[in-house]
Amino acid sequence: MSDALQIALQNTFSPATLLAIFVSATCGLFIGAIPGLTATMAVALMVPFTFFLDPVAGVAAIVTMEACCIFAGDIPTTLMRIPGTPSSAAYVDDAYALTCRNEHEKTLGVSLTFSIVGGLIGAVVLIVAAPQLARIAFEFSSYEYFWLCALGLSCAAVVSQGSAARGMLSLAIGLLISCIGIGSTHGIPRLTLGINQLSSGISFIPAMIGLFGFSEVLRNVLAPTLHQPAAASPDGPFESHLKSAWNNVFGDAFGRLKQSIGRILTSSTIGSVIGMLPGAGADIAAWISYAVSKQRSTPEQQKEYGRGSLQGIADATTANNASLAGAWIPALVLGIPGDSVTAIVIGVLLMKNVNPGPDIFENQLPIVYSIYITFILANLLLIPLGFVAIRLGSQIVRVPRHIILPLILMFCIVGSFAINSSYFDVYAMLGMGLLGFVLEKYKVPLGPIVLGIILGGRLEETLVQCLTKSDSLAAFFSRPIAAGLGVLCISVWLWPLASRLMSLRNNSTDTTNS
Amino acid sequence: MRSLLLSGIFCGLFAGCTRTDEYPNRPITLTCPWSPGGGTDRVSRQIAYYLEQELNVPVNVINATGGQGVTGHARGLLARPDGYTLAMMTLELNMLHWRGLTDLNWKQCEPLMSLNEDAAALFVRSDSAFTTMKQLEDAVRNRPGELKASGTASLGAWHLALAGWLLSIDRQPTDVVWIPSQGSDPSLQEMMSGGIDIVCCSVPEARSLLDTNQIRCLALMADQRLTQPGLEEYKTLKEQGCDWTLAGWRGLALPKETPVEIQKRLMTALRRIVTGKVERNGQTFPEYMDSEGFDRTWRETKNFAAFMKRSDATFGELLKRDEFQEVRSGPVGPHAFPLLAAAMGACCLVMIGFEQSKQQNTILSASGNRKPKVPVTVIQWIAFFAVPAAATAYALFVDEVGFIPAAAAILLTFALLLRASITAAILLAVIGSAMIYQVFTGLLRVPLPPGWLGW
Repeated sequence: MSDALQIALQNTFSPATLLAIFVSATCGLFIGAIPGLTATMAVALMVPFTFFLDPVAGVAAIVTMEACCIFAGDIPTTLMRIPGTPSSAAYVDDAYALTCRNEHEKTLGVSLTFSIVGGLIGAVVLIVAAPQLARIAFEFSSYEYFWLCALGLSCAAVVSQGSAARGMLSLAIGLLISCIGIGSTHGIPRLTLGINQLSSGISFIPAMIGLFGFSEVLRNVLAPTLHQPAAASPDGPFESHLKSAWNNVFGDAFGRLKQSIGRILTSSTIGSVIGMLPGAGADIAAWISYAVSKQRSTPEQQKEYGRGSLQGIADATTANNASLAGAWIPALVLGIPGDSVTAIVIGVLLMKNVNPGPDIFENQLPIVYSIYITFILANLLLIPLGFVAIRLGSQIVRVPRHIILPLILMFCIVGSFAINSSYFDVYAMLGMGLLGFVLEKYKVPLGPIVLGIILGGRLEETLVQCLTKSDSLAAFFSRPIAAGLGVLCISVWLWPLASRLMSLRNNSTDTTNS
Repeated sequence: MRSLLLSGIFCGLFAGCTRTDEYPNRPITLTCPWSPGGGTDRVSRQIAYYLEQELNVPVNVINATGGQGVTGHARGLLARPDGYTLAMMTLELNMLHWRGLTDLNWKQCEPLMSLNEDAAALFVRSDSAFTTMKQLEDAVRNRPGELKASGTASLGAWHLALAGWLLSIDRQPTDVVWIPSQGSDPSLQEMMSGGIDIVCCSVPEARSLLDTNQIRCLALMADQRLTQPGLEEYKTLKEQGCDWTLAGWRGLALPKETPVEIQKRLMTALRRIVTGKVERNGQTFPEYMDSEGFDRTWRETKNFAAFMKRSDATFGELLKRDEFQEVRSGPVGPHAFPLLAAAMGACCLVMIGFEQSKQQNTILSASGNRKPKVPVTVIQWIAFFAVPAAATAYALFVDEVGFIPAAAAILLTFALLLRASITAAILLAVIGSAMIYQVFTGLLRVPLPPGWLGW
């Protein structure tokens, strides 16, 4: 065993580090489960604590917190229809539909298992191929990013429940909302109606909480949607109760694992590759993976998507966890953050005299190995801790409606306030909630709105960057990766049209034959 | 036994709710106008960390981002002048009002102390043909409009830094095409992928790439070279024949009309921190700034105000010039994108209209079963309208009333509307509000207003 690996093992398995990992895992699960609090916020809050810890423990705490937060975001997604992270918006309808059928434990079990698998595969990719893969980050200029954003948005629009036209409408609404404020591209206020607070636009977290959570509260007040299961009295000794609980949560998931190896590999690849690109992260990965997953399914399975497809949830959640490890590739190898969490991490590393960059593999190998080990450890730790979190969380479904609904309302209000400590965000949440309520009456999907708000600014920015660099439209296909992504994107646009033409032709041949 | 347990729980729920009268006696909020992970955020969090040590209350940093800095500066400077909101201000404060984005300017604050001044610098890739500023200048003279640069949004600090340099060598600001971006990180990424030639930003922002020799610093827009170890080799523009400097600065201020005693208290604490007298976990603030490569120049109140006045005037001169009225980004105007999105939305509405009418025909032809609709009671309608009313009332009144009373009222009302028993409703109101309060203020350090109860 090499010296560096030995040192890394010693450091990572020291009592201080293990304690830090355990505490941040618990905190991460708790914070992630509260709607409105993101992994980035949790990591930012954690930075002062890392000052006390040695570099290995500090970084280990951040890695663990991030992994646990992202999984814990699935809990409010499933149980309360409030996406805990933007990437959960891809499968929030599926997950909540399953909760309404009293299958929430199975759903969370699938989510947990596939999150762990995605996280582990992402970690393996990081370990095996980081230096080589980091070079890919340098191939991505504004053309590639433009097509990637467009691809993610198009997937979300086309794949959502209902017709593609409704999905596109939802996307258009999201893009319009993202234009509100003083953008970085043009630097002038747009759509602000003279209101000062609108100059920063509508943040996506209050929007998400409002669209999904608040509108759900409104809907629930008029007509209860959640089926209240009868309280199951635990008979028999604790071990058999534990065993049946374990089966409830994981029974379906383990079986699914064996059947889905191909899909797991596809989703993890999508997740790792997208996570690897600075600035592109779990949200794009989750949507693209969900779209690919729907594409690969048989027509009967496809009908399930949006109404409770465990396959869709599994694939999306694999991708979004794999992308977490991917974000560390450019951060470690090049010193360029892969997402907002790694931006904070680089600051912490520099403070502890760990310098990210190609030299890190020569000068500070032990800490690199520690990071790798921690990734694996954090994902494995999710098995017991996630199980406990699921069991505790699913008790929420047993709480009577007159207790849980007011609490969810308060969490919606305080959660949207908490991001920027701004009351305007509460109004934004309210407005988006009413919008979500109305849109659902007309069966317009809500997921693309969220992605539109998040990526709209980026899409416009890259579009302007590309057009500023060169006036011709051909330039958009001038670089090989850009051309490839562009072709993929355009085929996604044409897909609904093509399938409609095909079904029209089938109908006409049917009528001519009959 | 049971009552003992219950009272124990109650004490736990209301822990930490005691107050003294001396300032500060509750958590302080520090507003940062830029996003987490960036330079200003790091400096804010460090100063907050040391202020906590000195003042013995939590100091929570909130990133109020957006509007190219308008949001964060407005949040900090227009807050209540009770000493519990500190504003981290940056150079952009001197630019935003000249650009017509806000009325806010440096005169609307009580300046405390500037903490840092990082000069702008010009970077190219290590394998670029440019090794000196002279070569860059020649390239600009010979081939205007060909080179591309980035570093921040259009008309942001680093854009003006580059433009100012171009003006000082008698070139037009448009001789180098500025590609707008979200900040230094994406700009450096774009340069590494070959999309642009030059990045203008500060040295600490480019640190990792500099230290690993993937990029090179051509010039620093400062009067003197840097003094931090490892950074002394970067030449200034002055040494290379051009008399232009520009530095981004960061400093702390209070909203206007904050009481003088509070200002004095904070100044004492800040003085001790920047002179290295406060140690936390074996490191002082100056040591931290040095280790990250941040400049440590500090100026106290009056000097800080005079400095901001000069900086403001410089930007006024720069931004009023004719050349800058022309400098707008790109061939695509600002309203193109929203119009495109609206057009797409309109098309979709039309298509959905078609689909609906087709579906009506098929539904009418196949009369299916309809689920019987359950009638909605009056109470349910009241509850329905009470939900948005509650959220609005919360946002309007919670600062006056306080979090716990407001939350308790909302919880109580809804529990009763949803037909809970009186005891259940009261228990929910009391325990729920206390629990949420503890989670958010205790664990997550999110400030919730104290109001009537004083907590």
